[in-house]
Amino acid sequence: MISIQLLLLIVLGLVAIWFGWRVFMTSSMVRSALSLMASMIAIGGLFLVMEAEFLGVLQIMMMGTEMSIMAIFMMMYMMDPGGLGEMDMSHQKNLSITGAVIISLLIGGATLIIDWGPIAVNIPGPHEQNRLLGLEILERSMMIFETAGFTILTGMIAAIAVALSVKNKRN
Amino acid sequence: MELLLTALAIGLVLFGIGLYGALSQTNLVMIMMGIELMLGAAMINLVAFWRYLHPESFSIQMFVLVAMTVMALEGAVGFAIATQRFRTSGTVEMEESADLKG
Amino acid sequence: MIIGILITLFFLAGIYFVAVLERWSLSGTMQWSSPVRSLLRLFIQEEIKPRKHDSIFFEAAPVFFIAVILLTISILPFGEGLVLIDLGTGALFINAALVYVMVCLLMAGWSVNGVYGMIGGWRALAQLIAYSMTVVMVLTATVMRAESMFLPDIIESQQSLWNILYQPIGFILFYLSAMAIAFLPPFDLPTAESELAGGVWADFTGIRKLLFRLGRLALILTLSVAVVVLYMGGWLGPWLPGYVWIFLKTLLVAASFFAVGRFVPRIRQDHLLEYHWKFGIPLALFNIFLVGGLLII
Repeated sequence: MISIQLLLLIVLGLVAIWFGWRVFMTSSMVRSALSLMASMIAIGGLFLVMEAEFLGVLQIMMMGTEMSIMAIFMMMYMMDPGGLGEMDMSHQKNLSITGAVIISLLIGGATLIIDWGPIAVNIPGPHEQNRLLGLEILERSMMIFETAGFTILTGMIAAIAVALSVKNKRN
Repeated sequence: MELLLTALAIGLVLFGIGLYGALSQTNLVMIMMGIELMLGAAMINLVAFWRYLHPESFSIQMFVLVAMTVMALEGAVGFAIATQRFRTSGTVEMEESADLKG
Repeated sequence: MIIGILITLFFLAGIYFVAVLERWSLSGTMQWSSPVRSLLRLFIQEEIKPRKHDSIFFEAAPVFFIAVILLTISILPFGEGLVLIDLGTGALFINAALVYVMVCLLMAGWSVNGVYGMIGGWRALAQLIAYSMTVVMVLTATVMRAESMFLPDIIESQQSLWNILYQPIGFILFYLSAMAIAFLPPFDLPTAESELAGGVWADFTGIRKLLFRLGRLALILTLSVAVVVLYMGGWLGPWLPGYVWIFLKTLLVAASFFAVGRFVPRIRQDHLLEYHWKFGIPLALFNIFLVGGLLII
C-alpha cells in the first residue's frame, strides 16, 4: 500500500535530484543557477509534504531570491555566451566521483544499520506549529537565534569588507 | 518507516551530487552551488527527523532555520570573495588561484 | 458554488476594468473597447522568435508568470470563508509567490538574447529584491497585530480599527511596494517604454505577449486584493455581503494605483534603489517597533 505522502515524496525527490544533477551538466550559467533554484523549490515542496509548512514556505521564498542573485553573479563573472558555447569547467573528475560515491555509500550504510525506532504519526497542525516554533525561538533557543542574527551581521560586515576595492596607496 | 527512508535517500543522493559538484567544478560560483546542494540535503534530513521521529521537539525546526542562515551567509561571503578575486585577477577560476598558496 | 462563480465573474470584470484603466493611464481617455482590440490584435500577431534565443526560458517564462499569479490568487480570501487553500502561513506565502514574479521577468529578459530585454531583466531583479524586503517586513507588523498568519484572522483582527489607520506607515510602504512589484508607473523600470523600448517584453510577440499582459493585469488585481485584505479590513463593512465589499475595495485600490502612476514621473533606477534601501527599510523596521509598542500598551 503506497500512500499519497510517499508518492509525493518520491516524485518531488526525483524532481529535486534531476534538477540538482542538471546544475553541473549544463554549460549555460543562468540555466545552471535556475536549475539549482528548481531543485531548492522541490526541497521546499518536500518540506510541505512533510507538513513543516512554515519551513517549506520560507525555503521557497528565500531560495527564489538567493538563486536569482546567484544567476546575476554567475553572469558577471563567467562571460556566459547564452548557453551556446560548450565549455568544460571541471577538474579531478575521477577523484570527485569516487569520493562522492564512497561517502554516499558510507552514509547510506549507516542509515540502513541504525535502528530508527517508532515512527511518529500525530503531529501538531500548522497553526499550532507556528505557535510552538515561536515559543521555541523565544524561550529555549533564544540565544541560538540571536547568535544567528549576530552571525548575519558579522557576515554582512565581512562581505562588505572583503568586496571593497583596495586602493594601492604606494601608486 | 519507508517514508523516513525515502526522505533520507533523497537527502543522500542530493548530498552526493553536491559533493561531486563541489569537488569537480573549477569555478568558485559553481563550487558554492555544490555546497548549497549539500546544505539542502542536510535540511531535508533534519525535517524528516522532525516529522517522523520527534514531532514534539521544535529545536529541530530551529536548527533548519540556522541552516538557512548559513546558506544565506555562505552566499554573501562567497560572492564577496568572488568579487574581490575577479577584481584582482580578472577570473574566478580556481585552477588559476595557485598564487593564493603564498 | 453560486457565490464562487459570481466572484469569478466579478474578477474577470475587474481585469477588464484594470485593462481600461491601464489604457487610461497612458492616453488619458477611457476607451472601453481597447482591451478587446488589443486582445484580438495579439491573437493574430505574427510570432517572432529572436535569433538564438534560449528556447526553454523563452517558452516557459510567460506560462510561469501566469502560474505564479494563480498561486497567489489561490491563497487570498475573497469573502468570509471563500478561500481556495487556507494556508497556515498565508501572509508569508504572498511574498513567497511574488518573489517568483521576479524570477519570471529574469527568465524572460535573459531568454530573448537581446540587450534591452537583458537590462530590463536585471533591473527587475534589483527592484523586486529591494521591494519584497519591505513587503515581508510590513507583513510582519500586520501578523503581529492578528497574532496569526492565517489571512482570515488578519481580517478579523481589524474589526475595531482598520490597519490603514492603525499602522499608516506600513500601509504606505506596502502600497508603494505593491506598485513596484507589479512594475506599474512610476516604477515601471523593467518595461520602461521610453528608455528600453519595452524592456523585458520587447521581443515577445503574439500569444506570449498576451500571456504576459494578462498576467500583469491579474497581478495588479491580486496585489489590490492583498492591500485590501491586509490593510482595508477585507470583507468588513455594513449592509453589503462580504465578497462585494472586497470587490469594491479592490477596484478602488486598483484605480488609485493608476491614478498615482498617471501623474508621477518615472523614477530613476538609482534613486529608486537608494530611497528604498536608505529610507524604506528603516521605516519598515520602525513600523514593526511602533506596532509592537502600540500592541503592548
